[in-house]
Amino acid sequence: MGVFEFISGRKKQAPGQLAKERLKVVLVQDRIKLSPELLELIKADLLTAISRRLEVDEQNVQISMARENRWDRLQADMPIKRQKVSFEWDPPAHTTAANVLRGKVQVEVEREEQEQEPS
Amino acid sequence: MDSRVITITSGKGGVGKTTSTANLGTALAMQGKKVAVVDSDIGLRNLDAVLGLENRIVYDIVDVVEGQCRLRQALIKDKRLPDLYLLPAAQTRDKNAINSVQMEQLCQQLRREFEFVLIDSPAGIEQGFRNAIVGADEIIIVVNPEMASVRDADRIIGLVEAAGKLEPRLIVNRLRPEMVRRRDMMDVTDVLEVLGVDLLGIVPEDELIIVATNKGEPVVYDKRSRSGRAFINAAHRIMGDEVPLDEVAEAPTLVERLRRLMGFGPALAERRVRS
Repeated sequence: MGVFEFISGRKKQAPGQLAKERLKVVLVQDRIKLSPELLELIKADLLTAISRRLEVDEQNVQISMARENRWDRLQADMPIKRQKVSFEWDPPAHTTAANVLRGKVQVEVEREEQEQEPS
Repeated sequence: MDSRVITITSGKGGVGKTTSTANLGTALAMQGKKVAVVDSDIGLRNLDAVLGLENRIVYDIVDVVEGQCRLRQALIKDKRLPDLYLLPAAQTRDKNAINSVQMEQLCQQLRREFEFVLIDSPAGIEQGFRNAIVGADEIIIVVNPEMASVRDADRIIGLVEAAGKLEPRLIVNRLRPEMVRRRDMMDVTDVLEVLGVDLLGIVPEDELIIVATNKGEPVVYDKRSRSGRAFINAAHRIMGDEVPLDEVAEAPTLVERLRRLMGFGPALAERRVRS
């Protein structure tokens, strides 16, 4: 977003609306001492935690603070890459006998990449 | 007696705390309630002048707390009404002349005599404000629909919650319907959306308030005034009556857009059909 877009965007918005938008942002900052640096740290922590379980599209992750109904909310929008996931589980009771081989349930799974082992 | 101690505060100065206290107190007394209004803005007293009682001050709140006089001696009876009394602030001291414990004890004393005790809080968030809320059962926050006032109101709401008080209610004061129509001013729904507390009343900007203060006659006495009607409505709501927003006096631009009116009962549209 260029400087010019930003300025003209502000001009179009009515002062009443603008006040409301500004207030929503400034009240979050007033309430908790939230710096952009802190938000970056939180984002990095979240990425690490979620990436252990799911593959995250890191380029398109959005973390923000917003105020809704007197609660300040941390909102994380993290797109998850499509992936066929495989996992083992205890055979459910209704599994047909044909699937059970030597006491373990066999499930055919296609894997695109190697699953990363958590370090 | 089931007394209620209500503090009127705002954070920001000049938004209408004293005007609201004077008018709500007068309106409640007009309904036959026994009311004490207390000016806790020590050093910058104004509630006396707004009520037109400035010439009758003999003792003040600091005198009472320091034991120089009895509470009854300091209370000034408003002769226009059967049961409205003012406890004035001291003018030659500052807000550290009283501490929270003393203020709480004073509230207890006032509770025994009055159905409603309205405390006019000073601006700010320091000792004066803390004193004003310490003895309160309920808190009313006066806010103007503009950036700075709303920001300060939010801080006050946070402090009130941190003090363990019930959620405060809002009076949106000095609303200018024309500016709202032009979208130069936030409307009441915007303010409620940002602050997230319940609405008690809406008071439009009204030149008659300046006239009233200059005369020392609270604007609720003036039948012509929209703001007077708005304060009377708010007083009724304090008493628990369901009063729909008066379109002319309070909400010329609101109509269906107002969603959050908890404490007002059923939705506005429904109520308009009924009445």
